[in-house]
Parts: sequence; C-alpha cells; structure tokens
Amino acid sequence: MELLTRLTFVSACLFAEWAVTFIAVANCSSSPSEMNGDSALKLPSADIPVAQKSTLGSFYSLSLSSTFPEDLEVNEYCTELLRIYGQRYVTFANCLVTYARPVRVCQNCYTGFNSLEDIYKNISFDKSAPGNVSCHDSLMRSDRLMLLYTLFIKLDEIWTSAECKQCLNEDQDALSNDTLYFMATLNQSLSCFEQYQRNHTELCKDCKTSYKRLNEVYGRMEKNQMLCIDLEDAMNMTQHLWSKNFRCLLPREETVPVIAVSSFMLFLPIIFYLSSFLHSEQKKRKLIHPKRVKSSSSLMNIQDKFS
Amino acid sequence: MANISKKVSWSGRGDDRGERTPLLNGAEDGKYNRHDIVRSRPKEIPHNAKLLSLKYESLDYDNSENQLFLEEERRMSHMGFRCLETRRWVICGLIGFLTGLIACLIDIAVEKLAGYKYSAVKQNIEKFTEFGGLSISLILWAVLNSAFVMVGAIAVAFFEPIAAGSGIPQIKCYLNGVKIPRVVRLKTLAIKVFGVICSVAGGLAVGKEGPMIHSGAVVAAGVSQGRSTSLKKDFKIFEYFRRDTEKRDFVSAGAAAGVSAAFGAPVGGVLFSLEEGASFWNQMLTWRIFFASMISTFTLNFFLSIYHGKPGELSSPGLINFGRFDGDSVQYNLYEIPLFIIMGALGGVLGALFNVINYWLTIFRIRYIHRPCLQVMEAMLVAAVTATVSFAMIYFSNDCQPLGQDNTEEYSLQLFCADGEYNSMATAFFNTPERSVRSLFHNPPGSYNPLTLGVFTLAYFVLAVWTYGLTVSAGVFIPSLLIGAAWGRLFGILLSTITSSQSIWADPGKYALIGAAAQLGGIVRMTLSLTVILVEATGSVTYGFPIMLVLITAKIVGDYFIEGLYDVHIKLQSVPFLHWEAPPTSHWLTAREVMSSPVTCFNRVEKVGRIVDVLSNTSTNHNGFPVVAHTTENDEPGKICGLILRSQLIVLLKHKVFVERASSRLSHRKLQLKDFRDAYPRFPPIQSIHVSQDERECMMDLTEFMNPTPYTVPQETSLPRVFKLFRALGLRHLVVVDNENGVVGLVTRKDLARYHLGKDGLEELHLAQT
Repeated sequence: MELLTRLTFVSACLFAEWAVTFIAVANCSSSPSEMNGDSALKLPSADIPVAQKSTLGSFYSLSLSSTFPEDLEVNEYCTELLRIYGQRYVTFANCLVTYARPVRVCQNCYTGFNSLEDIYKNISFDKSAPGNVSCHDSLMRSDRLMLLYTLFIKLDEIWTSAECKQCLNEDQDALSNDTLYFMATLNQSLSCFEQYQRNHTELCKDCKTSYKRLNEVYGRMEKNQMLCIDLEDAMNMTQHLWSKNFRCLLPREETVPVIAVSSFMLFLPIIFYLSSFLHSEQKKRKLIHPKRVKSSSSLMNIQDKFS
Repeated sequence: MANISKKVSWSGRGDDRGERTPLLNGAEDGKYNRHDIVRSRPKEIPHNAKLLSLKYESLDYDNSENQLFLEEERRMSHMGFRCLETRRWVICGLIGFLTGLIACLIDIAVEKLAGYKYSAVKQNIEKFTEFGGLSISLILWAVLNSAFVMVGAIAVAFFEPIAAGSGIPQIKCYLNGVKIPRVVRLKTLAIKVFGVICSVAGGLAVGKEGPMIHSGAVVAAGVSQGRSTSLKKDFKIFEYFRRDTEKRDFVSAGAAAGVSAAFGAPVGGVLFSLEEGASFWNQMLTWRIFFASMISTFTLNFFLSIYHGKPGELSSPGLINFGRFDGDSVQYNLYEIPLFIIMGALGGVLGALFNVINYWLTIFRIRYIHRPCLQVMEAMLVAAVTATVSFAMIYFSNDCQPLGQDNTEEYSLQLFCADGEYNSMATAFFNTPERSVRSLFHNPPGSYNPLTLGVFTLAYFVLAVWTYGLTVSAGVFIPSLLIGAAWGRLFGILLSTITSSQSIWADPGKYALIGAAAQLGGIVRMTLSLTVILVEATGSVTYGFPIMLVLITAKIVGDYFIEGLYDVHIKLQSVPFLHWEAPPTSHWLTAREVMSSPVTCFNRVEKVGRIVDVLSNTSTNHNGFPVVAHTTENDEPGKICGLILRSQLIVLLKHKVFVERASSRLSHRKLQLKDFRDAYPRFPPIQSIHVSQDERECMMDLTEFMNPTPYTVPQETSLPRVFKLFRALGLRHLVVVDNENGVVGLVTRKDLARYHLGKDGLEELHLAQT
C-alpha cells in the first residue's frame, strides 16, 4: 500500500514536471507543440493500442496491476530527492517564463537556478545513499529517456547561453557590483528620458551626458565580458529608444568637404596619367630579324656586310 | 638561343606596323618600301603583345648524356641512388616546411599591420563623426594607405622588379621551360614577401595568395640547390640537383606547396602544378609534390595554432579561410543548375571585360610608365584613390544593419547609423579583402541591401582592374573572389525578391560562392585546379559539381573574347611560351621554314680561338652548337655528331681543357660533371675568361663533353610534329638535318613560339630587344 502511494506520488511529480516543461516549451516555440500536446491528451484510449497510449495513462494502469520486487524499487531517500527536484524545477521554470519579456531572468531567477543545480548535483554525486543502488543510478540512468538529466540539461543550456554567470558575483548568490552600477546608470537615463518625453530635441541635448555614460559603462563591461542577457536587452531597448523613437542621430554635415577632398583625390590620377602620357618618352622596341632559309640570299648578304 | 641575328639598321623589308603580320607576305615587300623610307627609323615599334623578347632563354631540360655523365653513373653505387631518392624527399619536406613558415609570417604581419591601421582610422572616424572633421579622417586613411604602398612599391620597383604582380605568370613560364632572369632568387623572395605585406596592409584591392605560389617556388629552387648566390653561401649539400631538370621538379613542388599554404588546398596545389607546369610528370614526382603540399599546410596550421593560442590544433586551413558551408540553407537543388550556368556565363563576360581593360592598361604602363619613380607614384595614387573611394562609399551609404549576436566584423563602423547598428558598406570596404569575402559568404540573409552590393561591385571591379599590374607584389585571386561574391550575393538577393517566396534556395551566401567561382574562373581561366582549390577551401565536396559547371561555362564564354589574365600578361611580357599544342592549321609549315639557318657549328676538335670568337660575338647569343664531324669551308653541311652548350664550353675554357695541355701535363685533374654543376646556374660570361694568344692556337677536344645523341629531325617534318617533340621532351635545341645527316638548321623555342593563331589565320610574332 505504501508502495502504491509512493508510486502515485512519483507519477504526480512527473506529471508536474511534464506540465512545466510543456509551459516552458510553449513559450519559446509556437502553436504546433501545443497542438500536439492537446491531441495527446484527448486521445480516446479505446481505439489505441496500449503502446501508443499517453505515457501517463499506461503508467497508472501498470502500477495498479503489478509491482516490482523490493530491490528494483526506488528507495525512500531517493524519492525524497526526486520530490525536491520537482519542486525546484517548477519554481525555476516558472520564474524563467515570468521574466521572459523584457528579459530579467538573470536578476530574478538566480536563486532558483542555484537551488535546482544543488539538488541536481546532490542526485548525481550521491554515493552515500542507503542501499546498494545509488540515487544517481536509480533516478537518472535506469531508462533510455533519462528524464531528470535531459530536463536539467535543457535549462542549464538556457542559463549558459544567457550568460547570467557574468552578471553575478563570484559565489553566484547575488548580482555583481558592476551590474548594479549599470542598472543605476540605466535608471538615470531612463528617468531623464521620462522627463523630456514631450520634446525630443531637448531630450537629445539634455540626456546626452547620461546616455553617453551609460554607453561607456556598457562598453567597458563588454570588454571585460561582464554582460548577461538582461543587460544586453536593456541596453538594446535603450539604444532603440534613443535612435529610433527619439531620433537622436548624428547629423551628416560635412558632405561638402568630403566631396571636395574626394574629387581632388580622384583628380590626381587623371593628371598623373595625362602628364606621363604627354611627357614620358614612349618605350620602343627594336625589332630583330632572325636568320631564315627563305630569305637567306638577300638577308645573309646584308648581314655579312655589317658583321 | 641560336636564332638571333645582328642588330642591323636595315630598312629593306621591314614590316614595322607591329600589329598583325600575315605569314605569307614574302612577295609583298615592295609595297612597304616607300612607306619605310618616309619613316626614318622603321625598326623601332611601340611595345605590343605581338613580340618575343630576346632576353628570355630556355632551360636545359634535356639531359646531356656525355661521357662524363656515363662515368659518374658508373661510379655511383646502388646505395647512392637510394640516397638521392631520400634526399629528394627531405628536400620536399623542407620546401613544404619553409613555405608554410613564410605563409605564416605573411599572415601574421598583414593581420598586425592592417589591425593597427584600421583601429587608428576607426578611432579617428569615431572621434570626428561626433565633432566634425571627417575629411581629415579621409586624408588620414589615404595617407596611411599610400605610405604602406609606397614602401612596398619602392622595394619592388627599385630593387627587384620581377617581384611585381602575382608571380604566377612567371612561375608558369618557368615551369614551361623559359628561364626568366632572377625569378627564383632569394632576393626576389625577400622583396616579394615584404612587398605583399605592404600592399595588403596598404589596403589595395589585392590578395596575398598569388605571391605565395611564387614564394613557394623560390623556396624550392633555393633549398634544392643547397646554396644561395644572393647570400654567396654554399652549404655543399644537394649538389647532385644542380641542373635545370631537377630544379624544375622541385620548383613545381614549391609552387604546389605555395598554393596549398595559400588556400589550405593540398590537392589543389598538386593539380595546379599539373595544370600549369607539368609537361613532364611521373607518379613518384606527383607523390613527392603532394607530400610537400601537405607538409606546407600542416606547418602553416601548426604555427598559426600557436599564434592563436591553441597550440596543437591543426584544423585551421590556409591563408584564406572561406569558412565552412554547411547546414540546410546551403543545399542546392537540380533546378538551380541552370541558374549556376547563367552565373558562370556572366562571370565569363565580366572576367573577359576585366582582362580587356587590364590588357590596355598594361600596354599603357609598359609604354609610358616604365621609370621606377613613376611606378611608385602610380601605386601610391592607386592606394590613395582606393581609400578615397572606400571612404566616400561608406560615407554616403545609408545601409545600416543591426549588430549581430556573433559579430564577426572586427572593425565595424557606426558612422551615422543608429546606435547598435553598423554601416554595412563598411564591412565590405573597411576591412582586409579576405575578411570581406568571408562576410559576403557567411553573413545571414539581409545583411546587405542590393544597392550597397551593386555599388560595391562596380567600385571594386574598377579598383581591382586598375590595381593589377601595378609595381607592387600582389595577387588577383582575392579581388576576383570579392567582386564575384558581391555580385553573386546580389544575384541571390534579387532571385529571392523575384520569386517572393522565402524558399531556402535563395540563400545569398551560396550564390556569393558561385559568383566568386565564376568571376575568378572568368579572369584566370584555370579549370581543374581551381575547382579543386575552391572545393577544398570551402571544405564541402557537395559544391564540387556546381563549381565545376560554373568554371567550365566561365572559361568557354571568356575564351570567346580574350585569353586568361595570366596568359595576357605572359604575352605582354613577350615571353616565348609554348602552349600545349602547336597552333592549328600549321601542318603545312615544315621544319625547313621554321628553323634558323645557317647554324654555327664546331668541329669535334676545334681551335680555341674560334670558340672564343664565336662565344664572345655580342651580336649573336647562341647557346647550343651542333658538333659536326668535319666542316669544310664550302657549303657542304657537316655531319652531325653531337651538341654542345655554351655553358659547357665556358666551363671547358675556364679549366683550360686543351689537347696540348692534356698531353704535356698528365697530372692534370680530369674534369668531372661536378665542375659543370658548380658553375650552375650563373655561368660566368665569356668576357671574364682570359685566353692568351698562345692558348688561342690550342685545340679543344669536345667529344667527351658534348651530348653525343641530340635529337634531330629531317627538314620535311611538320611544325606540329616538331612542336610535340619539343614540348613533350622539354628540348632546348632541335637539330634539323638533311638526308646525309648534315646540319642544315636549328629549331629553338623562339622559332616555335612565334607562330600563333590570330584573327586572320596563322600569324608570326616579331623578335625584339627589350
């Protein structure tokens, strides 16, 4: 009986995870995946052979009908780990989705990631577990799906490509000072923008200093590789505001001098070629007549005379 | 060569128009007479493409099997031959290694110098965009460019003019069997490497790939001889290889190693040697050449990996890295093949246009801009104008593109674009050409707008045509690829707008590649080797078929208008170049009409005085002399019994191998083949050899030294037959004999090279002194 509840619980956890990943996937990719999910859920079980039923249903029916011997089962300790993993996973995935647009994931979800990573490491490096089989083997490597592993790796990939680590301090438990400084500068600029919302020419003039400083800070952080997706996105939006919305572009004022200098430069080769054509002495080639049989009679006589 | 007569001021039968000369004009001489008298100096004509220069001689590829040679062979043990073979391999390895090193040096130097230049200009532009004064940036850019180019051009124009250009025409001639003076010297190599660094860093529309081939060839010629005459240093190694036949084999290996280092294409390198130079080919040689090529790519990779801080990583390819084409977007489909063929035809037409313009420009340069200081000035002007044009294009371009995630442009310019965007014209112009090529190939669709590409193609085409042929060492591969990539990409973009469906087959990067291949094929007209080089450089065998189709089309279309760029330049240099076949419709010409006659012959035992006189006659510059059994003073031609070369005679005179001395002083060391090799390749001129009055009366026995079995043909042999013999065996002299084996004439390279097929049938080139 205890076994049964445990199994039910496991499957409930799995379902929760599945739902969470489903949400995460649905956020990135468009409707087709959603469609698949729906159709999978709505499948009428009677028409479909057992193998093609949704995993969830078959799991339930299996667990009701039969049990495995004790030593093949997942022990209690591992189940507990699994539960924690599930919870943290949900929390983190939820956080990611919540802060997807505008991107604020690094600022808000690092705690979630850290705890998820902790539990994942716990599971994978756990050797001291009671019983013969470690949790790592029983939870992660028992089947070809390797669900826990795949789920974590996907999120880890997202975290790595977001480069969030560069915005956090060394222990990864708080935002780094540079990030905070950048955000402060950003806020200054934004509040300046707010102030002059009405008049764009004023804005371009008065907010230039703060905007420029922001650019400098950003450039320095870029050079030091301290940017993460949050900062990049924020900077992108600000630049877009500045250039596209407020149209604070540099004017193209020097057309005349540039044309003048260019045409002068282009004029030089014409002079050069003309002068060398007129003044340089044309190179001439002296023709030489080879000795041939055909014209030997006349040619040879003349040549003899000159030699 | 034996077909040279005196510089006579002779105005009887001149045909001084210089242009087409129908061959059968013997009877029309009178027609020109009055004309000639009016023009007082009929023997001088302006330089044109229909001349053969006297300064080029043949290389001696034919082995002289004289008695010394036989003796040496007899002395050499079985082990000795094994050692020779091993030495050949060692030399090939060395060639590959050194060529790779040189490529590495060029690459790093160019990257550094160009890096400094571009970052300086970029900073300047950024500063002045905000506060005004961009014309100063323009001047700064132009001055920097000119300064680099000036240094390079001075080195080339004043110290070693042969190092100008890509060097491929010269190497082609060398492998064809023409001795181009100073082409494989160490000094040439030094100037070449220095010059190419300067001209690429100076922002000219040039690449560094062509010069690599020349560099490889020089390395090969130097290493295989085990000494350098430029440095006056003899390492006393590899002495056996000091003759033209051996040297040529190594030079072809060197050229292959150069190609291989330049494009990361070892097989392409081998095929380049095969296509351009190897009239003489065997399987072992091919294998050795391949070895040299591989070593060269390997060396380059190895040292570049150290430079890039990843030692031991050997996968970075040659100097130009096209990047990998993979992924679904670069697949091609059957229905695209006709499009590729159209692009090939377009490339052929554009290439022909390039060559025609460059042809006239080169003629103008040879005629009017022949003084070194003028040449340097011209190069500087081109550099300044290149910078100006680039700057103007960038300045007036409104094409702004958002900075990508993986932004590959190292020197992206913002200028008047919105923040977070860059000027897309600047990626094409404000960059070294090969980086531009790479971004044209690989930047995602939408990185360039069509107007930018169109203007860029036009501007770069003009600049590249203008640049090739300057007195700087620079190659034409990269500019051609760049032009082609630009219009190819344009083609791809237009295709996708026409069809309006966002199908994958209009990926512009793919069309950029095909366009690049078409343009390059249209300009240089190489076929087999170019296909393989491009396939290897892009790293995708999948593209082999379309690239081949494109190159075939480009060659067919281009050849309809004008020959390839290298052939044009070979012609303009008046080199007696032998093509694969004799000109068609020349079977009616016989050896009798082709040969030079009469021939200066020597007796088996000849008087020293006569030899010295013949050799020191400045008006004739014969190099080979048939040795006859007995010359009588009457017209009866003597029977041939051998052939002796000027170089051999000079060595004999220098060592005073006279009959009288041999009998009087028995202790005199016997002359060996080694003595001939030591003098190679720069035999002393006859003037430096002193022969006293007494010695002039001595006799010299040539029997031992002459080639006792020279090739001969009867007088009635047709020109194509003679040609085939000449080309296939790499001959320098071919004796024409009558029925009794009497010497009646001598055929040399220039006698054959002067016939070519013009618009009015067979034409004859003039011999001229250049």
